[in-house]
Amino acid sequence: MKRRAFIAGVAAIGVAVAAGLYRFTDLFVNHYPPTPYDDLLGKLVDREYAARLGKAAHQTASADALAARLRKTVPDDLKTAIGADIAAGRLSEVDGWLVPQTLMLLSALASKV
Amino acid sequence: MTALIDARTIPSGTELTPDLAIIGGGPAGISLALALAGTHLKVALLESGGMGFDSAAQKMYDGSIDGVNYVALDAGRLRYLGGGTNHWGGWCRPMDAIDFAPRSWVPHSGWPFARTALDPYFARAQARVEAGPWVYDKSADVIKEPLLNIGDGGIYTSWFQFSKTRGDVLPTAFGNRYAEGLKEARNVTTYLHANITGIRLAANAQSVDHLDLATLNGKRFTVKPRWVVLACGGMENARLLLASNDVMNTGIGNQNDLVGRFFADNPVPRDVATLVSFGGPLAGCYGSNITMDDGAVVRATFAPTPDFMKKAQVAGSLTTIEQPVELDDTGRAAVVTTAIALGVDASRAKAYSLGCGMELIPDPDRRLTLTDEKDALGLPRLKLHMTIADEDFARYRRTLEEFGRQLLASKAGMLRINSHRREEWLKNMEWGHHHLGTTRMHDDPRRGVVDADSKVHGIGNMFIAGSSVFPSYGASNPTLNLIALTLRLADHLKKVTA
Repeated sequence: MKRRAFIAGVAAIGVAVAAGLYRFTDLFVNHYPPTPYDDLLGKLVDREYAARLGKAAHQTASADALAARLRKTVPDDLKTAIGADIAAGRLSEVDGWLVPQTLMLLSALASKV
Repeated sequence: MTALIDARTIPSGTELTPDLAIIGGGPAGISLALALAGTHLKVALLESGGMGFDSAAQKMYDGSIDGVNYVALDAGRLRYLGGGTNHWGGWCRPMDAIDFAPRSWVPHSGWPFARTALDPYFARAQARVEAGPWVYDKSADVIKEPLLNIGDGGIYTSWFQFSKTRGDVLPTAFGNRYAEGLKEARNVTTYLHANITGIRLAANAQSVDHLDLATLNGKRFTVKPRWVVLACGGMENARLLLASNDVMNTGIGNQNDLVGRFFADNPVPRDVATLVSFGGPLAGCYGSNITMDDGAVVRATFAPTPDFMKKAQVAGSLTTIEQPVELDDTGRAAVVTTAIALGVDASRAKAYSLGCGMELIPDPDRRLTLTDEKDALGLPRLKLHMTIADEDFARYRRTLEEFGRQLLASKAGMLRINSHRREEWLKNMEWGHHHLGTTRMHDDPRRGVVDADSKVHGIGNMFIAGSSVFPSYGASNPTLNLIALTLRLADHLKKVTA
């Protein structure tokens, strides 16, 4: 019993330390509750800033619709997608700011979750 | 040495008989007179004002405006020796080759010759405006400041140069600067306070017979020259031609209803866009004038390439950095999100407002006409119908979009377009005070008032100097260019009067 209790105690402490470390990294990396769009939103390093930008995009499409559109067109590498937008002149205006279309759509999605 | 003569001392009824009369003592008139100094020609330079500002003379510029809000007609020009150079900012830049070419996407565009026709005259024009050595777009090679890398695309970094300033004194004011030169020219006599009240044609309407002059103190006399050059600026040239309608009832050179039409200026909309430099503050040459080791004073600007102008069907524009600005929440979000996505550190990002000098699309309905109201000497006053088309803004907007795209492509920064609706463009609108186009140049008399030699179609001995002959305009400030054109006219006059 003593051995089991010891192991359980060590495990509990381990979980607590891990949880503490996880929260500690909040200082450096934001953690977000899971969404159905994390395959897309994971491409954004700072989702909060993106959401602020996305809100100004005033996209009326739903999150599902935005995600569906992005999944069709965005490859795994966001930089490649953005580079292609820029090269092709596919820029969107968000409160006057000229941003690559893919980044605008991702930001709009971020603002809806 | 010939003194400057005060025309108010000339007895009424006098007839002066120079070989050549130059009407107007602004940058064109003075440059022409000095270019003809030492020739066989006896030249009379006739200036309406004196050596300084005089409210009574200035009031003769009064007129009315309808249409788009524009600068009062007596505010954008100065009626004394030196003309517009008495209040200019000294901005110089040669017009681009494309400014002279017929552009299928710009109605009524195209000069009767290429820019190469003016190339031999630019060095002397540069010396006349005292802008130092000819550097312009070679500035990038020698400037010691780090430049914003905007990469390749439809926009390139171009350069202004500036007429010399002397301490806090304005750039070269031609009247003060060249008064001594005019006095030293033995074959040139300058008359001050000499107002033209009529250009009188011979009965056959094929040549100028004489000029009627008057002074504000009541003297009236005539000048009977062999040749005449009208050099009073884009507004007054048209007024004198239209008002001199005793032989040709529509006015001189106006048989095809062109005199006064196609008026243009360079709109200068402020705060049209916000540019963010991801890498931090821009070098000083973007927002202010920098003096280089060789004495040239330069400033960077952003211009569309000829290829982009053709592809995107845009007109000329010169976009400049105005001043640092602060970003709002959305602006910060745009910069952070975009920079991260591009893999760029924007922790030192700096934002600036952008202004622009635009080229207007030639518009025959933007025009000067005479009114029934008269000035102090009985000459009809002008009315300007001012226009600016939505298409003018739309074209410049396409240039800004390309600039924004290029900044992103080069990962140097990004851009916000600040003006969208017409009211927003007009709210921050200033004007260059460049009066262009009202006696446009074209080989075909049905499409131009003067021919490629600046001679008035149908009038054998009358020429026009200055930016009123520009048939299409570009975005460059006109002074340097109109002086080059005037020096070309001087060479032509030397030939035809020999």
